[in-house]
Amino acid sequence: MLTKIHIQNYRVFESLTLDFTDGLNVIVGNNDAGKSTLLEAVHLALTSRVRGRLLATELSPHLFNQVVSKSYLEALASGGNPPPPEIIIDLFLEELEETATLKGTNNSSLENVPGLRIRVHFWEDFSDEYASFVANPDDVRLVPAEYYKVDWLGFNGNSVTARSVPATASMIDASAIRLQSGADHYLQQIISDHLEPKQRVEIARAYRTLRETFTGNDSIEAINVELADTQEGLTDRKLSLAIDISQRTAWESNLVPHLDDLPCQFVGSGAQSMLKVLLALNRTADACHVVLIEEPENHQAPASLNALVGKIADRCQGKQVLVTTHSSFVLNKLGLDKLVLLTPFAGLRLTDLPKDTLSYFKRLPGYDTLRVALADRIILVEGPSDELVVQRAFHDMHGKLPLEAGVDVISVRGLSFKRFLDIAKPLGKRVAVVTDNDGKDVQTARAQYSDYTDEGKISVHVGDAVDGKTLEPQLVSSCGRSVLNGVFGTDFASDSELAEYMTADKTASALQLFESTTTLAFPSYIRDAVAI
Amino acid sequence: MPSPSNNVAIIAVAGARKTEAVIEGALGDPSRRVLITTYTNENLNQIARRIQAKVGVIPAHISIRSWFSFLLSEGIRPYQHAVFGEVGLVRGLDFQGKRNQFAKKETRGYFLDRHGDVYKDAMADLACHANERSSGSVVARLEAVFDQIYIDEMQDLVGYDLDFLQLLLESRIDVTAVGDPRQFTLATNQGSRNKKYRGAGLVDWLDERTVLCRREDRSTSARCSEGICEFASALFPNLPPLDAEEQITTGHDGVHTIEPHEVHAYVETYRPVVLRDSKTTDTLGQPAMNIGVAKGSTFDRVLIFPTKPMKKYLADGDSTKLRAPERLYVAVTRARYSAAFVV
Repeated sequence: MLTKIHIQNYRVFESLTLDFTDGLNVIVGNNDAGKSTLLEAVHLALTSRVRGRLLATELSPHLFNQVVSKSYLEALASGGNPPPPEIIIDLFLEELEETATLKGTNNSSLENVPGLRIRVHFWEDFSDEYASFVANPDDVRLVPAEYYKVDWLGFNGNSVTARSVPATASMIDASAIRLQSGADHYLQQIISDHLEPKQRVEIARAYRTLRETFTGNDSIEAINVELADTQEGLTDRKLSLAIDISQRTAWESNLVPHLDDLPCQFVGSGAQSMLKVLLALNRTADACHVVLIEEPENHQAPASLNALVGKIADRCQGKQVLVTTHSSFVLNKLGLDKLVLLTPFAGLRLTDLPKDTLSYFKRLPGYDTLRVALADRIILVEGPSDELVVQRAFHDMHGKLPLEAGVDVISVRGLSFKRFLDIAKPLGKRVAVVTDNDGKDVQTARAQYSDYTDEGKISVHVGDAVDGKTLEPQLVSSCGRSVLNGVFGTDFASDSELAEYMTADKTASALQLFESTTTLAFPSYIRDAVAI
Repeated sequence: MPSPSNNVAIIAVAGARKTEAVIEGALGDPSRRVLITTYTNENLNQIARRIQAKVGVIPAHISIRSWFSFLLSEGIRPYQHAVFGEVGLVRGLDFQGKRNQFAKKETRGYFLDRHGDVYKDAMADLACHANERSSGSVVARLEAVFDQIYIDEMQDLVGYDLDFLQLLLESRIDVTAVGDPRQFTLATNQGSRNKKYRGAGLVDWLDERTVLCRREDRSTSARCSEGICEFASALFPNLPPLDAEEQITTGHDGVHTIEPHEVHAYVETYRPVVLRDSKTTDTLGQPAMNIGVAKGSTFDRVLIFPTKPMKKYLADGDSTKLRAPERLYVAVTRARYSAAFVV
């Protein structure tokens, strides 16, 4: 099992350390937070390959973190002699009998544990070439990756080979299924891993026999006789047709998995990724097998996604599964306690999530928990009418809508605010809760949330009870009856009649307020909420 | 937990099937993770070939490593940080260079050349040092990786090698070391550390550690005939004599001397393998093999071009004046039936 990863200078990560838990790890994050890169790094440390090819053959300046590259280039330009930057990926493994040889302190945190390290570093053999290359700093625009080499090491400081790594990884990238000729690299790998060594040998032998019989076929033999006759004068050698049976064209690239007799590349993308996930999860061979799944929600209709996510949750027992997702549904179903909120600098977890909140979202996976996890700032409101009013108030104050300013206004729709705050608080989110006082005084209404507001990042905004129990009477009090009569084209004589009219069709009246060009004076608790 | 008494050192004469004992032991129990190590690459390859000849491929539970490769990858690299404060610093082995005698102990320059390669004579010293500085992590890791370590040609281990061997003997790993002090021809370490235990002194080193390691002697040679055994025994009066396993007579047996003008006829008649001290030795035009290289091999008959001190010994039989009896011993004991000296 993987216990931890440390990534340095690789792509979006300047320096990231992330702990893994056994079983599921659901990785969420905004675009460019490095979700795919994280899975790529895990796969890289376990195989020394990126997208099926050896890292050594794929070295490019763009693998280096931009911030690090930039400071290196700037130091060069200003006449300094900075050391060429290095990429390091340290993957920490659990201590098992199989991993004992990989143990040592050759890792970033100097822990005496087993693990694997990818180190991309300047190759001293090129010292002279490098010296003349950097002699003209103005010509150096990128990290000179051509003078680099890749070391694949254990924490014991010794080189490792694919054979000596006791852990295996299956990578499933549903967003980019590549099946041009039969099975793509990952599918090949998954199928091949799924089979027992004995079965693999049997397939290889049967495949070879099949190809040999092809050459023995009467019509092919006749053609070959003809070919041998018709090439007079071209060459002295014999020309014939046969199937290549060398190792390079082994069965893996030619045998294609079929679903209901359809070759896999003609099956829908959704079914393909379903197949891959199931094959990878069913594998039983190794003690240490890691399944990496990228965005399982891609290409899946809601019903089949439900089935797929259910299978992922069921079958990951005794395996480590890293899943990236953009879907609240996937996150809620797999369990919010498995969440890792990734940024290029850190990974946050929801530790100590109340059990009832966890099971609540598992049963009602439609809620937008991911929005809470991903927004910079959040305003939680009770329903659509509150949402519209808050949006308008925000726009009046800041000249733009909340989303344009990185603020997500989320309507909890009858759900307790506390369920969302259970997620927001441990992630350190800034949240403003806008709620009705329901007749209570401000102190009492706020007191219900004292467990959440103690760290100062979560604030609760309620109107004064004298101005009304709910949003509508509060609006009447603050905007004034005549202004609102003007907005709605009504002519109510009392505040209470006007408030009753608005409450009767909350959403329609809120929409009218939202679209109105009249200047409105919003209640102070709402203005406080949007001012933060 | 196995007690330290599971360690055994087998002191055996030439032709006592030492290497065979190692190979059979290693193949015996596939559930034990075994390391076989020895100093020279020639011997290492021979062990690998013999295992392959027996079972086809080297089984997964057996690792075969040269002593230096073992020290480097299992003794030094895993905990190099404890010594140097850096990771990934140690590259490989510097076989040619000599460590600076004046460098301060514990500094980088004391152990490593400027490329990060470890000086040959610093290898075992550094491995012991890494273990000490990491509070025994080197040995703890080895205990998790190997159940049994076989060391072939243990007489080649000198200096700090013996200190590292001591650590292995004290560990939970069962160690079986086999060797013949009389065949000490290579010094892996030129320093003064443990100098008195070189060659025949190895037996003294073992005798000081009887609690850690049981000593077994095997004096029966399955290779050499009686006359050769007698001659070889006389070279080391302080060690138990060799016994020939069986009496074989071919009509030309034991140890002889011939004169240079007889060499051509002798070679024609008996077809011996010609052995010499070094390539500068004049072998009267006969194609020859260096004694050091012949170690580990067996021939029916040998013809030896001796050095001056060897000639002197052949004349007066005074082994105390013989400075390198090991070479003479190796040369003579290559032969099954006969060994002849050109004097």
